[in-house]
Amino acid sequence: MNGNLVKTTLRQSILLAGLRISPAALAASGVLLIAFVALFVPPFIGMADNGDFFRIIYSNGLYFNAPDYDSQYFGYFVRQFGIFQYYNENGTMLQSSQSLFIKLAIGLNKLFYSSEVFDIRFQAAIYLVLYVAAVYLLVEGLTCRMTRRRGMVVAAIAVLIFGDTGYTAYFSSFFGESIVMIMMMFVFAAWLLLYRGRYNDYALLFLLLISTLILTTSKQQNAPVGVIVAALSVSLFWIRKERLFRWLTGASAAAMLLAGVATYVSISDEFVNINQYHAMTRGVLLMSDNPESALESFGMNKQFAILKENTYYDQYGTADVKSDILQQDFFNRYGFVSILKYYAAHPDQFGKILDTAAESAYTIKPAAMGNYEQAAGHEFRAQSHFFTLYSMLKANLAPKTFSFILLWMAVTVGIYMPSFVHAAKQRDARGMQRLVLITAAMLVGLSGIFVSIIGAGDADIAKHEFLFTFSFDLIILLTVSGVAGRLFTSAERKLPAAIAPRPGPSAGERPASGKGVSI
Amino acid sequence: MKRLAIVLLALLILSPVLMPSSSARAAGGERVLLLYDSLAAGTEKAGNIAELQRLLAAYSAEVTLLGLDEYQAGQMNAYSRVITVMNTGEIDSIKPEYAEDVAAFHGKLLHIGYHAPDVLREAMSLKTEVYPGTRASLSIGGIDGLDLNAADMPYIVSFRGVRSFGSLSFEDGGVEAPFAVSEGSYTYVPYFQGRAGLLGMSYVLRDWFGATAAPHTYLVLREIYPFSDLELLEETAERLYDSGIPFVASVRPVFGNHDFPAMERYAEALRMVQSYNGSILINAPAVRPPINSSDRTLHGKMSTFIDVLAGADIAPLGIAAENYWTYDKEYATAGMGFFDSAVLFPDEQVFYMEQTNVSRAFASSVYTMNLEELSALPHAGKARPQLPLDTAVTLELPQTEAELEAMLQRLQESWIDFADFRQGIHRVETENNTISSSGGVITLNGAALNVGYSPQAIDGNYQYQEDQKVSFARLFSVQSTFFIVVIIAALLLFGGLLLIGRRLYLKKYLK
Repeated sequence: MNGNLVKTTLRQSILLAGLRISPAALAASGVLLIAFVALFVPPFIGMADNGDFFRIIYSNGLYFNAPDYDSQYFGYFVRQFGIFQYYNENGTMLQSSQSLFIKLAIGLNKLFYSSEVFDIRFQAAIYLVLYVAAVYLLVEGLTCRMTRRRGMVVAAIAVLIFGDTGYTAYFSSFFGESIVMIMMMFVFAAWLLLYRGRYNDYALLFLLLISTLILTTSKQQNAPVGVIVAALSVSLFWIRKERLFRWLTGASAAAMLLAGVATYVSISDEFVNINQYHAMTRGVLLMSDNPESALESFGMNKQFAILKENTYYDQYGTADVKSDILQQDFFNRYGFVSILKYYAAHPDQFGKILDTAAESAYTIKPAAMGNYEQAAGHEFRAQSHFFTLYSMLKANLAPKTFSFILLWMAVTVGIYMPSFVHAAKQRDARGMQRLVLITAAMLVGLSGIFVSIIGAGDADIAKHEFLFTFSFDLIILLTVSGVAGRLFTSAERKLPAAIAPRPGPSAGERPASGKGVSI
Repeated sequence: MKRLAIVLLALLILSPVLMPSSSARAAGGERVLLLYDSLAAGTEKAGNIAELQRLLAAYSAEVTLLGLDEYQAGQMNAYSRVITVMNTGEIDSIKPEYAEDVAAFHGKLLHIGYHAPDVLREAMSLKTEVYPGTRASLSIGGIDGLDLNAADMPYIVSFRGVRSFGSLSFEDGGVEAPFAVSEGSYTYVPYFQGRAGLLGMSYVLRDWFGATAAPHTYLVLREIYPFSDLELLEETAERLYDSGIPFVASVRPVFGNHDFPAMERYAEALRMVQSYNGSILINAPAVRPPINSSDRTLHGKMSTFIDVLAGADIAPLGIAAENYWTYDKEYATAGMGFFDSAVLFPDEQVFYMEQTNVSRAFASSVYTMNLEELSALPHAGKARPQLPLDTAVTLELPQTEAELEAMLQRLQESWIDFADFRQGIHRVETENNTISSSGGVITLNGAALNVGYSPQAIDGNYQYQEDQKVSFARLFSVQSTFFIVVIIAALLLFGGLLLIGRRLYLKKYLK
């Protein structure tokens, strides 16, 4: 009898515990489960090398140990790499915060697996843990003031979007997109939680700072991210009155700004040349009706028109991209600013290249790279379709014009503007943060597009626009969660989220959840 | 008399075919096994294997390069000529398979450096010692006083041989020794490093291959791009022509946008170059480090470019490339397969696609050196000495008028008698075109090519972007006009209603 009682109590407890799982925990578990199956259960899913891996792995002590590695470029995902046993003479080719994670993965690999062979799943595991934590915080930020049922709907949508293997396949690769994805989500979640007044403000500010720094320094093209987040995060200064918090906010913004500048400065000459080359051959010359006139407007030899559509990576070319003639008569004659001026003077061409950019703006996983190992028996460049509904829908259904992006931004900003104005009137700096966050995410995403097209033309554009496509998804989820929470205006009128009761300075307590309404 | 005239006429017609035009052709494309013990990296001898490869290429030899540690028994039996380079003096033992095969080898054997095999030593009663001093000078082929570094240098003390090559004088004046000696099928060169060693080796190889034809010196202009200063290129060609200097233009290929005006201007400039006695060579394209060995587009790209040039009445007569191209299966076949003549530069940046140890040989192959190197050779009178093999003096295309003037002055002061490349026999063949030259006459698909320049118009209104096909253009035009009218009318109506509303409001509430 007693035994039965105990049994019933235990079962009930487990059941109750199961039912009491929060939307955030549900979303995190869902993403974890799906990504685990994709990355750690055969056939393993990952991303094939497009030739970029060597820049990051050789300087971190790894090398290609597969004898037929050459033949697997683009086609097959490679899971194992060699670990240098002796002195590594490869200098750092790429300054990136990604190195921290690769080194950590190598350390774990040596500890638990092998000191000679590196299995990329160790890196995938690290990324996955961080990603799941980010998803948890994001969904917590979205749902902490919702009813359970609505929260669960949001959690399910979050799993659909962020559990997509278009995103998680990056974890089994050495592309910097993994870091971009995780850190951008942390930035978004931390800022959203600051807006919600959920958790400790100091801890969230620290998370915002660290994730911005890592995000900014992960890829050279992310240099503007530090500047954008630094500029907009200044508004956090007023959400608390303590001098310490304000001092820390100012210092964080300065650090982010510095990281952006440092990332820009650290861009190597070769990277500058690659992007500068593409900006002309795959940008200005590609879009211009008369490439010779375009070149003459830059004060350049019109004969360079012959390089139209060439890429830096062409196996065979007329001139070595590092040759003196290109250095003196080509690269030295234009730069980011002169291209910007050119597009300002030729808005029609800028419109064309923006539309070209928009065509790839919703691609999560580039089709050029295969997802399976060669041993899995799939054909060259075969793509995995495991849990890719969202990425497929997005790639196929989103209107592929830049005007749609502008329209989407205008509508989104328009939706959140009343609550922002209301908060501004109330002098509620915290309540204003949601639109500031959305603006920051939009600008970060747009920076991805602009830096790509002005800095590198249409070359490798699907990958370059990753920051946009991810920011787009974060904002879309925020908007959708708002719809799921309640209709925007009525919700704001009844109980504006930003001025809803929140823990305030003694953050860290859990606010009353369930009854609250938020968007 | 009539019969004699016919015979003479026949001989005259056949002379370009019967008479070899270069030393390389005389060599006749021998297969050579080149064995080496070490590349001597980090020593004074570093690079001597690569230079030897270039020399052998210039004698049209098909070289199989093999490290001695990779040598397998019986391997040299497939060759009639073997060269062994021993760069290292201190070794424990010679690989037995090699030692055994060399002892039984019946072909021509050239040994360079240390550890000459016993069979060679015995055949020429060879005695060598290592010179204790540091400097020596070489006299060979009419060139006297070539300074060389003699540290740890083996030299021939005594020998019994039919031929000796050059003479080494050591700094103390007490010792004189031949640079190389030859007896029957054996040739021995104790020393091979630096510019002097290279020069000495070129004379030894000429004898070793039995080349008899008179060597020539050519002038090759490099770094000619479609975006070079084309006017300056034309002026350079004209000034060289006026100075009586025939030259070769090594032009960079273009792999796309062939219909652009920029390409037409490039072709115009090359036609002008051709008319001023300039021969055209296609320079190998710039190669990126291959990230994907499945890129097999080189053949199509080169073929198309040759056809584009031929279509513009420009006759490329060969290819100019770094020597390593001949040791790459893809480059040698897909890139160089169209040509039987090549000018081979020293390697600068090596990016193999499919490396092989067997080189591709060319019927006509030219060794290159720059003008400074050639000018630095000791010479008695004004004229520079003629090297024993076909040599190209390479210069970069001037970028300014001042550079052009300086280049012309240097060339005139060099007193080098440059030969006309198109006088040699060259053949370039694609699926669509066959270009050949012989005795100064260039033929394109069997017809003599008129190299005289006649300007051709360049399309100033070239359409870069194709007009997109427009469907229902008229319908959309009408539709858009209709909407413009409707919207303007609606705006006017709306404005009018606003005015009326305002007036009504004022009337009602401001009374």
